[in-house]
Amino acid sequence: MAIKKMNKKLIYGFIVFAIILAVVFSALHKWGVKHATFMAGGVPHPANCISCHVYPQRDGILANFLNNEYLTPINAAVNPEGSKLYVTTQDADLLLVVDPFNNKVETKIKVGRRPHSVVISEDGKSAYVSNQWENTVFIINLDTELVTDTVNTGGGPSGMDLSVDGKILYVANTYTNDISVIDVVQKQEIKRLHSGNYPKGIAASPKGDYVFVSSQRTLPVKFRTEPQTEVTIINAHTNRVDKRRNFISAHIMENVAFTPDGDLAIITLVRPKNLVPSAQIERGWMINHGIGIIQEDGKMAQLLLDEPNAFYADPYDVVVNPNGKYAYVSHSAADVVSVIDLDIIRSLLANASEEDIKNYANNLGLSSQYVIKRIKTGSNPKGLAISPDGKFVYAVERMTDHIAMIDTETLEVVNDLDLGGPGRITVTRKGGQFFNNAGHTFHEQYSCYTCHPDSHEDGLTYDLTGTGRNFANVQTLRDLYGTAPYKWNGKNVSVYMQCGMRFSKFVTRTESFSPDELDALVAYILRELKHPPNFHDLPNGKLTESQKRGKAIYERTMTTDGREIPVKDRCITCHNGPSYSNFKMADVGTKKDYDDEIMFDSPNLNNVYESAPYLHDGSAATLEEIWTRYNPDDRHGYANDMTKDQLNDLVEYLKSLGAEYYQEDNLEYKVNKSQL
Amino acid sequence: MKIQLHKQTSNVTVLILAILVTGLFSFSLPNKSISSETENPGNEKIIDKKAESMPIYGNWKSYTKKDGLPSDKIYCVRVDEDRVWAGTSQGLALLENGEWKVYTEEDGLAHRGVLSIDVSPVTGDLWIATMSGLNRFSGGKFDTYTQFNSGLANDVIYSVICDGKDVWVATGGGAGVLDTYTGKWGIYTDQNAPMHEPWTYNVCAGGGKIFIAAWGGGVIEWDKSTKRFRDYTDPDGEMEIDLFADDGLVHDITTAVSYDDDILWVATYFGLSRYDGNHWKGYFDHDSGLASNFINFVKADGPVAWLCTDDGLSSFNGETWVTYKNLGTNKSGNVIIDGNSERERILKATKSISHNFTIGVDFKDDEIWVATSKGLSRGEVVGQSDVKTSKL
Repeated sequence: MAIKKMNKKLIYGFIVFAIILAVVFSALHKWGVKHATFMAGGVPHPANCISCHVYPQRDGILANFLNNEYLTPINAAVNPEGSKLYVTTQDADLLLVVDPFNNKVETKIKVGRRPHSVVISEDGKSAYVSNQWENTVFIINLDTELVTDTVNTGGGPSGMDLSVDGKILYVANTYTNDISVIDVVQKQEIKRLHSGNYPKGIAASPKGDYVFVSSQRTLPVKFRTEPQTEVTIINAHTNRVDKRRNFISAHIMENVAFTPDGDLAIITLVRPKNLVPSAQIERGWMINHGIGIIQEDGKMAQLLLDEPNAFYADPYDVVVNPNGKYAYVSHSAADVVSVIDLDIIRSLLANASEEDIKNYANNLGLSSQYVIKRIKTGSNPKGLAISPDGKFVYAVERMTDHIAMIDTETLEVVNDLDLGGPGRITVTRKGGQFFNNAGHTFHEQYSCYTCHPDSHEDGLTYDLTGTGRNFANVQTLRDLYGTAPYKWNGKNVSVYMQCGMRFSKFVTRTESFSPDELDALVAYILRELKHPPNFHDLPNGKLTESQKRGKAIYERTMTTDGREIPVKDRCITCHNGPSYSNFKMADVGTKKDYDDEIMFDSPNLNNVYESAPYLHDGSAATLEEIWTRYNPDDRHGYANDMTKDQLNDLVEYLKSLGAEYYQEDNLEYKVNKSQL
Repeated sequence: MKIQLHKQTSNVTVLILAILVTGLFSFSLPNKSISSETENPGNEKIIDKKAESMPIYGNWKSYTKKDGLPSDKIYCVRVDEDRVWAGTSQGLALLENGEWKVYTEEDGLAHRGVLSIDVSPVTGDLWIATMSGLNRFSGGKFDTYTQFNSGLANDVIYSVICDGKDVWVATGGGAGVLDTYTGKWGIYTDQNAPMHEPWTYNVCAGGGKIFIAAWGGGVIEWDKSTKRFRDYTDPDGEMEIDLFADDGLVHDITTAVSYDDDILWVATYFGLSRYDGNHWKGYFDHDSGLASNFINFVKADGPVAWLCTDDGLSSFNGETWVTYKNLGTNKSGNVIIDGNSERERILKATKSISHNFTIGVDFKDDEIWVATSKGLSRGEVVGQSDVKTSKL
């Protein structure tokens, strides 16, 4: 009886507990849905805590369980016999030696941090690998497959090419806007030439007279004028810059290649229409993709690879068949390689007037004449390599860890080379594929990468609202975790909101990402996108004397004449913490007539040196201009009491700001490097 | 103590009086006793071996607006292999393949007043000091650095030189250096260097050092190995006269510096100083072959210093002077040779530098280019005997 009574009590108790639990769960779920919907910018989102609170995590047991270490290959080169393929992998810091005919990765050679490109010497005995995140080129003996020498370069070495005589290696230093000229016999840099903005691709002309260097970003131009992006032309005999040729209304010129007889230099490019409202995407010409051409006589032209209703976003690499008749261009956001008939282009240009050439740059109907095939590849095809006999083109699929082997006779993918990455596609990896794909924009016109190349920024200012007002300077996507709010006006409380419905309404003009897609994209952005290490301090990782003085100014509380600086006017007030931001809005006196907002989000300052132009509208071309031109009333920090050399010290300190997580391994690396 | 002070003062007074009297006496005399004013210098016997080693220039040709220069006021000249660059009051001019090409603000030049030009021996880029900013001219395009968009100390730039990867400037707001690899700017003023004030006029490199002509502050030396400054000033501190001969710089107001062959040459508006690392020596127009004490510019070329003055162009190798003067009539001129062991000789030339107000000089092989206030002059090395008979 007593037991029965007890059981009854237990049952009642359980029921009450269950009801309470249900109420609490219901309330929590309701709150969770509301919270998730709010954070996603009003898009109904399943209250899945993992989406926001686990997927983006960089460290921890769960993060390790949910993610994989991918190879992320980016570029490749073929040996002179055509029997081996050498592939750089960005995330695994490896140079893979691949037998493409037996689907076998033969060797994995450990190289430096974030390897970018690989070049093979004409005798096939040496490989040169640019290590973008440690400012070096490794020289590898391909017989022993060992790194034999290290050559220091400028910042962020990426594209490379050898001179025709094989004695000089040219290296594009992306982060420091220069070109290292390396004597490969002496194994040292002999000079550094100033390049365009963010140099990326390099090609030596077949006759050995010139070296062309393409740039990713526009040169500084007058506010709200069309971008102008430079091809730096080096005289290969004197190793001096011979000419600087600008492509107007074009940028993101990732790579360049010559035809075998040197009559054409072909450069991949993007044509942004950043001066018109981004809503113009509906008219089919917000951003176009194509190639730039510099003929032997110096004439320049831009030709689109897009079609009226089909865009092929983010052209990345270009190679030319040894017979000079065909060029192959990888479209990294369209998962396609375009095959271009160069004889048709030669004929087109030969018969074109200057007016025709101007019109070609915007003519979507022209590509059907010279693009003879679109070859589908796996996700995010980047670097291309062509076999010496021209029979095969290899397209490096960055987001699949595979390589598509294309038969140039049949123009079909005949082999899918697996480089040995993890088999499963994680949520984050899926996000990487979304990020680098234009499938979610109207007409597939552009991907996230298009405006955020290398996950950073394209250096342009856009009219996103379509009102001819509130121009927005594109901001970096690196190291965004924990830095909300987003956008200059601080209206996006999360990356979900930034990439969600608002994004499709104002930018992509097509259906929003689904919640799962959004989860993946956000996880990728928050977890994977990192700043490169900052090398602006001393080799031992300490600040220079100038930077120390600049730090004191940055942290100062008193003016130079001994008066206290109000808290709101101190640098450290708004720009503090690991990201050098308090994540709050502030009126720093930078509102212009065309702005509706007075307050702007305090931006993060890590690696700010490579984020020009500055301010919400990109009106400050350099860090100095923030204070010399746009701070007359000391509202953007108390600064007008400084002398010019004090301002220089402050700028030097700002340039040294870098992500905290690098400090330890950077120090170790820099100490090692200083001992080289 | 007081008595000793009086003693010193009286000694100094006597000395000053002696110098003044000597000076007045020498001013009352002809500048130098002239041994000959020959119409046929080809028959002159060369007296001094040193004089023989001094290059003599003739066959002068002048370039002016008529030839395509934007202005006759030339502020500087720089030879870069087969190209000659001239900085003028109205733009930058390039002589290439016999044709002048002019660059102005429309092409990207920071300001039409171009005061100094240098060519980086490493990159071949041209660095241009203007009255409103610094330009880099590379591959046919200008980049502009100003005090607003960069760490440049001041937009009025009097001098620019390339020293390896570094570009040094002398500006109205201090000396500055740009590390072209890192983009870092350094500024040196009276706040962090032994300068009298931040106004700097000229800069040169040599012997592992950078020398800065600082207005009123003498010469500032930056040792690149120790990264330390030191200064050279006029020990007597007198602004009107050089009280003690050869005790140091002749004056604190320095206009230009040049270093070559282990010799530092310092130009002032009050005479010339030469420093061999141990001893200073002063030179003036009244006691040497220097054309004028008012020296705008100095450039050392091996053991020979070239002095651009307001009254002609002088060259000097430590012993022998050769001065070029325009006589103002029919563009004829004098070549005045004045060695230690010979009396002054004047060689007549039917053509000469285009104006006696000279402000810049540069060389290429056997050519000399001289910037003057009325055109750019080009001369060729000729023998003394060729001055008159040379093809003019």
